[in-house]
Order: sequence, then structure tokens, then C-alpha cells
Amino acid sequence: MKNHTFTAFRGVLLAAALVALPFTAAADGEAGDHVKDLKSHLGNYESEVNRFVERVEKLVGRYAEQGPDAAETDDLIELWEQVRIHSAVEVNQAPVYASIWQGIYGVKEAIDQEKDIATVRAEQKALESALWQALGVVKMAAQHQADGGHDDDSTESSASGSATVDEIVAQLDEVTVEHAEGETEEATELVHDTYMNLFEGIEGALIEQDAELVESLEKDFNVTLPKLLENGASVSEVTNRVDAMKDKLARAQELLKKAEESQGDVF
Amino acid sequence: MCSDVTRRDLMRALGALGVMSAFPLSGLAAGKGEAPFSVESLPPLEGELTLYLGRGEGGLYENVINAIRDRNPDLSLQVRRGPTVALANTIVAEAEAGARQADLFWAVDSGSLGLVSDAGLATALPDSLGEGLREGFRYDYWAPVSGRVRTLPFNTDRLSLGDIPEDIMALPDSGLSVGWAPAYGSFQSFVTAMRLLQGEKATREWLRAMKGRARQYAGEFGAVMGVSRGEVDVGLANHYYTLRLKAGQPDAPVSLAMTRDDAGSLLNASGAMALTDRPVAVNFIRYLLTREVQEYLVQEAYEIPMVNGVALPEGLPDQERIQPPSLDLTRLADLRPTLELMRDTGVL
Repeated sequence: MKNHTFTAFRGVLLAAALVALPFTAAADGEAGDHVKDLKSHLGNYESEVNRFVERVEKLVGRYAEQGPDAAETDDLIELWEQVRIHSAVEVNQAPVYASIWQGIYGVKEAIDQEKDIATVRAEQKALESALWQALGVVKMAAQHQADGGHDDDSTESSASGSATVDEIVAQLDEVTVEHAEGETEEATELVHDTYMNLFEGIEGALIEQDAELVESLEKDFNVTLPKLLENGASVSEVTNRVDAMKDKLARAQELLKKAEESQGDVF
Repeated sequence: MCSDVTRRDLMRALGALGVMSAFPLSGLAAGKGEAPFSVESLPPLEGELTLYLGRGEGGLYENVINAIRDRNPDLSLQVRRGPTVALANTIVAEAEAGARQADLFWAVDSGSLGLVSDAGLATALPDSLGEGLREGFRYDYWAPVSGRVRTLPFNTDRLSLGDIPEDIMALPDSGLSVGWAPAYGSFQSFVTAMRLLQGEKATREWLRAMKGRARQYAGEFGAVMGVSRGEVDVGLANHYYTLRLKAGQPDAPVSLAMTRDDAGSLLNASGAMALTDRPVAVNFIRYLLTREVQEYLVQEAYEIPMVNGVALPEGLPDQERIQPPSLDLTRLADLRPTLELMRDTGVL
């Protein structure tokens, strides 16, 4: 799925994590009508996951037996672009969606770099795990949809500083997806927007708790990660940087929770 | 989105406001006007209200909203959150589609408020609402809630306050090393202000001269940290970074200096506007201007209070010493010439 489709739908379906502009999202139907009736398509989605897992197994098997020339790793990307569960996952759960892309590139890069078969198998296992997890997410979303769940923007949800960290992590997962899809400009812009719209809102309270942590994340957002993206770093390099940022953000979240406990009353 | 807004649109919108300018030399020193009022003096809020909230100081704005909710059980408040400019676009687009939803807009930048006002969607505020605001900060269609000001944090192990020039244009000749973050929006607004106040030629020369003695940081907080570590003598940054650092590390060798009546002491504000003529919307804004909310934002977020009689955050110079320039802020939205200038000089 192309980036603009993802962008169009995420505002509607990722609830408070992303600001909703409902009329904007509704105008774009590229995700396919099937996402409006997930329950009716669960059988198809499951078949697609099975088929994908089989294709990965065949690919890895050929690599083990015949070497890298026998394994067309780009096929994985093309297949993922074609299956309908792709959009069903994409519009419902960004973290799992990112994990699938990371898994695909994990296998692809391990083979392309002619890593040992044990390493390739480990990447294969991670990809399969992400795919099955994604199917579970879609099943839950289908149930929610069938129960009459609304795709609103959770206007009642509060956005505390610690909750904002969860949003930042979700955005960083999206960055890895954009990068994996070759959307460098979008990925870089998303890093910038995440910093401006989310991180800047929480850094104040963090500075008092751990100034060096804030400075480090500021550098990650404004220099390190954008440069990796612009320089065409591999998916694994970008993922590793994002993972390192997530570790820092986990500490930030702990600090923010403590800070929130000690905040005074307004009235 | 039905309508994409550019910086040029924002500039035009701000121009239409016609009131977002002229922070007088004595802006923060002026204490005339009504004393701050307490929440106890306000009527209860009742009925339904939808607030569009631009991203601000993490959960602190949320705390303010929740406190207002708790105090007004008969108020049914819906809150939509998002980047300020995106919400401004949404407000305008919804109005164009005949589906207005927002009754209130609380924005972190004045440009977005100008955009909505330009679309004719803002409700004029009663004069009584502005009486408690600082002089120079009383507007027809929006109320400033809290402010931020440009400062020069300096290393106190190396320098004293008297070593810091009070004229930003004199900084290149001061012999001081400087930390800055040119990619930052606040820094670019500062350069824009300089361009407007001093002219393009002088600003170009200033940038070129500074480039030779400036060290670039990933962000303005990084520049403040650089000052604290002694990597540079002076930084260019919004005030709250230094105050936050000192709150966590009281012994950090950094303090704040300010220039006088120039771009180096530029002040900007967040603000709120009503989008309906129902009294509950204006009364909600009154809650934001209460002594209690203003003090909360000072204490928890180190923001500059916009009502008379509320003390500035600890660590800032006295309010008599804070002298932002008299400048038409509508023109700050025109960043393109500034970015070209910064690129031409190799700063960006």
C-alpha cells in the first residue's frame, strides 16, 4: 500500500494516537472496501497468512539448499504489497504493521548478505510471529467493528505526558515502515513532526528529571535518525536506532509518571 | 483536508487580525489594569462545549482542562487534540463544509489563531475579558494565555551578567562563543524578527559574523546544555530550557541574560479564542485567565503569565527588565526570506 493511503486512514483508526480529520480519511478508498467488513474476510486473511508463511519457508529452503542466487528476496516485498491483509493490518495496528516490515527486511537482508542459515531462520521466525500476531489483531478489530465500534478520534481520552510517549513510539514504528517502503521524505517528515508535535510537549518535565536523556533524544530526533534516513541506511540500521530511542523513551515514560504524581493541583 | 494552509496564509491571516503586534518596550513591566481574578469569582460552566486543543506542554494543559471539568460537573466538555496548525485547518474546513464543531480553540501559536480569525470564525471577546491582561496583550478575537521569550543563557563560571551585550546586534563583536540551533522554529522566528527590525543587510552581516563563532546544536536545549558544560559562553534559546535545567540541577553554571527591545528578547504567546457566541465559551476562557491557572502554568511549565499580578517564573529577570521589541508579529509568519537568508549565509 502506498504511503498516502496509510496516512489517510491512520487518522481515523489509530484513535488518540493520531489526530483525526475524518472527512479527510473518508475521501480515500485505496485500502479496499474489505476493511469496512473485516469479519467477512477473516477467512481470506488467514489463507493469505498461511500462503505467505509457506512462501517464506520455500524461499529460505532454497537459500539453504542452493544459496543466495536461488532466493529472490524481492518477492517477499511484492507479495506483501499484494495481499489484502496488508491493508487490514495497516489501518488497525501500526506497531504490528511495522514488525512485519521489519521481519520482511530481516529475512531479505540476512539472505542478501549471505548470513548463515541459523540467522536467516531466526529472522524467518520473527516474521512469522509478526504475521500471526497481525492476524490476531485483525480478528479483534473485526469483532470490534461487528459490535458497532466507532472509528472516532477518542475525543474524551486524555493525553498525559506519559501517554504521549506511547504515541511517540507508535510514530517511530511508522517511521520504520515508511523507510522500508522507500518513502524517505515521508519518513523524515514524520520524525520531524513527531519531535515538534509530541516530544517537545513532554521534554519540559523531563529536563528536570534527566537533562542528559532529553539532550540525547533531541539529538536522535533532529540529527541521528534523520541522517540515517537521508543517507539510505538499511532497514536494520534504522530499526536499531529506533529501538535505542524506544529504550530511552521507556525511561522517559517512567520519569514522567513519577513527575505527574508530584504535580500540584490547578484549583 | 479541504484547505491546506501555508505560512503565507498564516501571515495574511495574522495581518487581518491587526492586533497581534506592538509589544511595547514596557510590555511586561506594565502592571496597570485589573488585579488577577480567582476562579471563585467565576460562574459555573454548564452545557456542551467542544474544545480544539493544540499540542502544548505535555499533560499540563490536560490537567488544567480536567480541573475545569471537575469544578463544573454540569459541563459536558469534548476535547479534540492535535498539532495546532492542523486543528486550525480543521476548524476552517469544517466551517466550509457546514459542519462546525469547535466552540473553542486553544492554540500554542498565534499564527493559527490568526488563520481562524481570518476566516471570520472567531467571536469578538468582551472588553471585560481583556482588562486583566498585560498591556500590549489585549486583542479583539483571542486572549493570550501564556508566553515564552527569547533569552541568552550564559555560563556563570566564565561570565557575569555585565559581560553579556544588551544589544543582540553587538553579540558578534563581543568575543563570546555562542551555541545555537538554526533549524529550530523559534530561532528562525528570532532571525525573522531581526530581519524585520534591522533589515536584511544587517541581518545577513550578523549571521555571517556569528557563523564564525557559533557552534551548532541539535536543539535549543542542547545549546543550553552546551553553555552549562562550558562548551560555549552563551546560547540563544527560549527562556524555559534554562529554568527547567536549573530546577533539576540548581548548581548548573548557567543563568539568563536578555537584550533590550530587539529580536533577542522576542516574546510570543499561546492563546484561546471563542468560535461561538454562547457565553459558556467565553467563560471557559476566563477560567484560563484565572490567577490559579496562570500560577499553575508558571509553576509547572515555567511559562510567562499573561495577566497582571501573577509573578514570573523564578529565575527570569525582573519583569521591568524583560523588554520585548515592538514588532508586528503578523510578519513573523513570512519565513521564506529568512530561510533564504540563512541558507545564503551557510547558517542553515
